[in-house]
Amino acid sequence: MATEAKLSHTAAMILQAVNAGYVYGFSVMEMTGLPSGTVYPAMRRLERDELIRSHWEQQSIADAEQRPPRKYYKLTRTGKMTLESSRKRYPLLAKLIPSEQVESV
Amino acid sequence: MTLQFAPVFRGGNLGLLRLASLLVPGQHREEWWREWRSELWHVRQACTPQGSVSWKGEREVTAFCLGAFQDAFCLRREAGQKKVPLATTKGSAAQCMFFLVTITAVSYGIALLCPGVRAEILSLRYRVPQNLTMIQSARYSQDSVPTISAEQVRMWRGRKQQIFDGFAFYQIVQKPVLTGSQEQVALRVARASSNLFELLSLPVRFASPGGEAHDDMPKLILSDAVWKREFGEDPLVSGRVVQVGLRRAVVSGVAPAGYWRLPGKVDAWLLEPDVDAVSDGAGFVVAHLTPSAAQERWSERWRMSAPTPDGTPDDFLCVSLAERTRESWDLFLFAVILAFLSLPATTSLPLGEYRLSSRRLSWSTRLRRWTFLGGKIALLLPIVYLVSLDLAYMRTTLDTPSSQYIQLVSSFSICLFGLRWALRDQRQRCPVCLGKLTHPARVGQPSRNFLAWNGTELICVGGHGLLHVPEIPTSWFSTQRWMYLDPSWEILFPESGLVSTGYF
Repeated sequence: MATEAKLSHTAAMILQAVNAGYVYGFSVMEMTGLPSGTVYPAMRRLERDELIRSHWEQQSIADAEQRPPRKYYKLTRTGKMTLESSRKRYPLLAKLIPSEQVESV
Repeated sequence: MTLQFAPVFRGGNLGLLRLASLLVPGQHREEWWREWRSELWHVRQACTPQGSVSWKGEREVTAFCLGAFQDAFCLRREAGQKKVPLATTKGSAAQCMFFLVTITAVSYGIALLCPGVRAEILSLRYRVPQNLTMIQSARYSQDSVPTISAEQVRMWRGRKQQIFDGFAFYQIVQKPVLTGSQEQVALRVARASSNLFELLSLPVRFASPGGEAHDDMPKLILSDAVWKREFGEDPLVSGRVVQVGLRRAVVSGVAPAGYWRLPGKVDAWLLEPDVDAVSDGAGFVVAHLTPSAAQERWSERWRMSAPTPDGTPDDFLCVSLAERTRESWDLFLFAVILAFLSLPATTSLPLGEYRLSSRRLSWSTRLRRWTFLGGKIALLLPIVYLVSLDLAYMRTTLDTPSSQYIQLVSSFSICLFGLRWALRDQRQRCPVCLGKLTHPARVGQPSRNFLAWNGTELICVGGHGLLHVPEIPTSWFSTQRWMYLDPSWEILFPESGLVSTGYF
């Protein structure tokens, strides 16, 4: 994927949310206000284009918290570069979703 | 709202996700289901308060679940883009189907060109009425011999009957017929009682609605062949008066070809107003069973004893007309069933030579492969039927039993060999692109059969894999094996467009 690839505003917002620490689907939904039917397909496309990558949480951690394990997403190097160019294209992106880490993974 | 509804909502949400998961391609389904189920748990925790159920929360959770369908469709679309195209080179699946369709069209064309075959196909529209029986003397085994006298029929008609409520009699005689063109031709004329066609429900073409002008004359119904040969296919033939032997008769219609299925070849039917007019001599009898007798559900063949005109009892054989006039379609179905039953004795049935492989084809690829096999067999059946009809009814001089025998034997043979071919062809095709495997190469030596494998190796031009066929089946290598090649082999194969990783 080229670094100059142009993302849609929705995709850029999701990428920004993942970068900001909203690292699983539901948290991205909550942060962006987008419905599940938009967020999950978009995240699959971002993963297909190698802008984000996913991994499953360890079972032991989930067991300790008595919940099912989650699938977490993380930006790749290409994803970070694409996000940088998207921020220039969508200047309000950083204001909509501040980049502070909200949850440690 | 009470908590007793909570499991219902949870079950409903999981049901929605499960339904959506059916849209997800098989290779992604497990992970997709795991992720959405996990997310659903967290969504439910966030949206519904502990210890109670709220409509607002449940609505949010349901909306979340409905989004799963969009995600599933998205994955499905992406998988569809990676679908492996079918092989396009020589021996492709499309060529095979085209070949079969061509054979079907050619055999149907031949059927239309041959009058006998065309008549047989057209006669499929005719169904022999139920509860009709042919009566013959039990002293004769063959029903092609006339055995019942007209006097006998007259006697049966005159007596009160409990078994039969209608009799039709006919007697085939050679008669000189003087047609309108003043030409005299010798025809096989069936002198019959007037109710013969009515009893058999035989259709009559060009029947004149009137015809009362010659009510006193017997009616002559022409066969399709005589109408074409002697009357020049004249559609206004009805009402014409012709000389049949020493009597005059009025033509009252044409019997369509292929509908006459009773014993004897007939060129024309002379329907007498009364059976008394039929001279003495043996003929054939068709009788209609009374409703009460029909309900007895007697067998297809049964014997009865009845008095003869001279007062002594005699044995008669009654044969159901439906059983006697087995139609070509029944023979075909019987031959097909027989061929399917015989198939395992002639070739190995399984196509599962790929089971040893650790890789598993996607359901769409497998479905396409089985659809192709089903399509081949589906096209084979009309070919079997039409070709067997062509062989059986090409010569119109053959009698019905001989034609039926030829049809039965040819249907069985063609169907059996056709099914064998369909299976063998399937085994020699790549399971992914359905292209014919090519470039057979001998591998190994027969003398080293116990130390190494010895056989033939075929390759898919799309680079999907290799087929190893053992020359001598051994306990460790008894059936052919398919070896899948991974995408790294792509560059070696000419049909690179067929190569894709999306078929697993």
